[in-house]
Amino acid sequence: MSDPTILAFDTSGPYCAAALLHRGQMSTRIDDMARGQAEHLMPMLEEVLAAAGIGWRDLDAVGVGIGPGNFTGIRISVSAARGLALGLGIPAVGISGFDVLGLADTCRALAIPAPRGQAYLMQGDGPALLVAETALPADVLTPDALTSEARIEAVAQIAATRRHDPALPRPAPLYIRPANAAPARDTGPILLP
Amino acid sequence: MTDPLTILGIESSCDDTAAAVVRGRTVLSSVVFGQTDLHADFGGVVPEIAARAHAEKIDLAVEQALAGADLTLAEVDAIAVTAGPGLIGGVLSGVMCAKGLAAATDKPLIGVNHLAGHALTPRLTDDLPFPYLMLLVSGGHCQFLIVEGPDSFRRIGGTIDDAPGEAFDKTARLIGLPQPGGPNVERAAQSGDAGRFTLPRPLLDRPGCDMSFSGLKTAMLRARDSIVAEKGGITAQDQADLAAGFQQAVVDILTEKTRRALALYLEDGPANRGFAVAGGVAANGAIRAQLQQLCANTDTIFAAPPLSLCTDNAAMIAYAGGALHGMGQVDDLTLSARPRWPLDQSAPALLGSGKKGAKA
Repeated sequence: MSDPTILAFDTSGPYCAAALLHRGQMSTRIDDMARGQAEHLMPMLEEVLAAAGIGWRDLDAVGVGIGPGNFTGIRISVSAARGLALGLGIPAVGISGFDVLGLADTCRALAIPAPRGQAYLMQGDGPALLVAETALPADVLTPDALTSEARIEAVAQIAATRRHDPALPRPAPLYIRPANAAPARDTGPILLP
Repeated sequence: MTDPLTILGIESSCDDTAAAVVRGRTVLSSVVFGQTDLHADFGGVVPEIAARAHAEKIDLAVEQALAGADLTLAEVDAIAVTAGPGLIGGVLSGVMCAKGLAAATDKPLIGVNHLAGHALTPRLTDDLPFPYLMLLVSGGHCQFLIVEGPDSFRRIGGTIDDAPGEAFDKTARLIGLPQPGGPNVERAAQSGDAGRFTLPRPLLDRPGCDMSFSGLKTAMLRARDSIVAEKGGITAQDQADLAAGFQQAVVDILTEKTRRALALYLEDGPANRGFAVAGGVAANGAIRAQLQQLCANTDTIFAAPPLSLCTDNAAMIAYAGGALHGMGQVDDLTLSARPRWPLDQSAPALLGSGKKGAKA
């Protein structure tokens, strides 16, 4: 199995990105869109497979972007990947934006933009932090150092390696930012004996 | 006669992650992972927390449902999934997982309206003939539907604000009872005096079958605060009296509105008179007893599915999906998750009107 067939996809930003590694060749497709990824993703992936003359059952593994990024977008891809993995009986490999950047440069701190002037920061082995953009160290590596195509190709490449990991966890979103939720205001009355 | 289809159902529209396998009218397995503990500190379901849980649980629920039915995916004929209405993050996870499964196995994909799942459950459990009157009453919904077919529903009334289940939960919080509010308020009410507090029955003086529960919640808060102002807290007897007063108000509203809805339904002269109640609030004994009495008085069959099929579950989605499949209604991989999706598209919006359209 030296030439695995791997489909990678990512919807953690305003796009549907896909890469197909088949017979040692990489093909990519990036469709930019602010919304509608849930409707667009699966038909787009079918077109990517069809363009290579293969179908879902020819896949050896799927790679999926787990963020950090848009929460809803991450869940769209992660849920689809889990369904595909279960349906096809193949591994689904969750790959973070830091994994992708780390493939390009193992030395620098890594930063991925977050909403409201913040950024997700990974230094060394982590953990990943949410920091103000102004507090980022100098010389961080950010996603725009790579093309969209290179980023999704990296997801496919990493999936091709990690799919053999016997302890491979199911893909899970990498949120970093906790869910926005305020504790209940009404704590209830004092109970008298 | 062909063998009935075997349908995998998936449900993730609120705070239950569920999967089930149904063959014909037989529930082969039904798995429900609740999230009550995750939301306990927040006084209600937090959409983002719910969505996060669904995304990491939905495929596990499917695996468990298949194992429980002792079937492989290959032995399933079609995949049905709740495509709305509900909390969009959760619905999306279910829809995308179902698309992955459908693409991988080349099985038909069927998007199901969550409310249709509830409304068709009396067919699954009791084989109730069409047309029947349905009261769907839960934590998120409260409406009367005349169910004429698997995709034909006429809404003749519903809440214009909150759902009774939500009001039960809120009442429990207000009077210091634990969640879930429904069973705990009901238990406390057993030793309470329903007449001690004067609570409103909103919209009861208006014609029609529409309901309102928001003002009742406010009245409960006022009643509770008046006791706290007097004594600095509330006693177990206060709790019981408040719970009994609240429950009686809900019983009165639902009973009177159901009486009117039954009259409307019977005006059409249905061949078999049937009434069904579904949703978590249908588990309340006081409510159920009154509705049963109404049916007995009008010679109408009363159907109440067991609680496990009354509250959110995926067996009802699988069953409804099978019914739609039988009518040739199948979706493709562009299926949308819809936060708003009223069953009756022609009835005027009760909730969430405006440019986004009716909620449910």
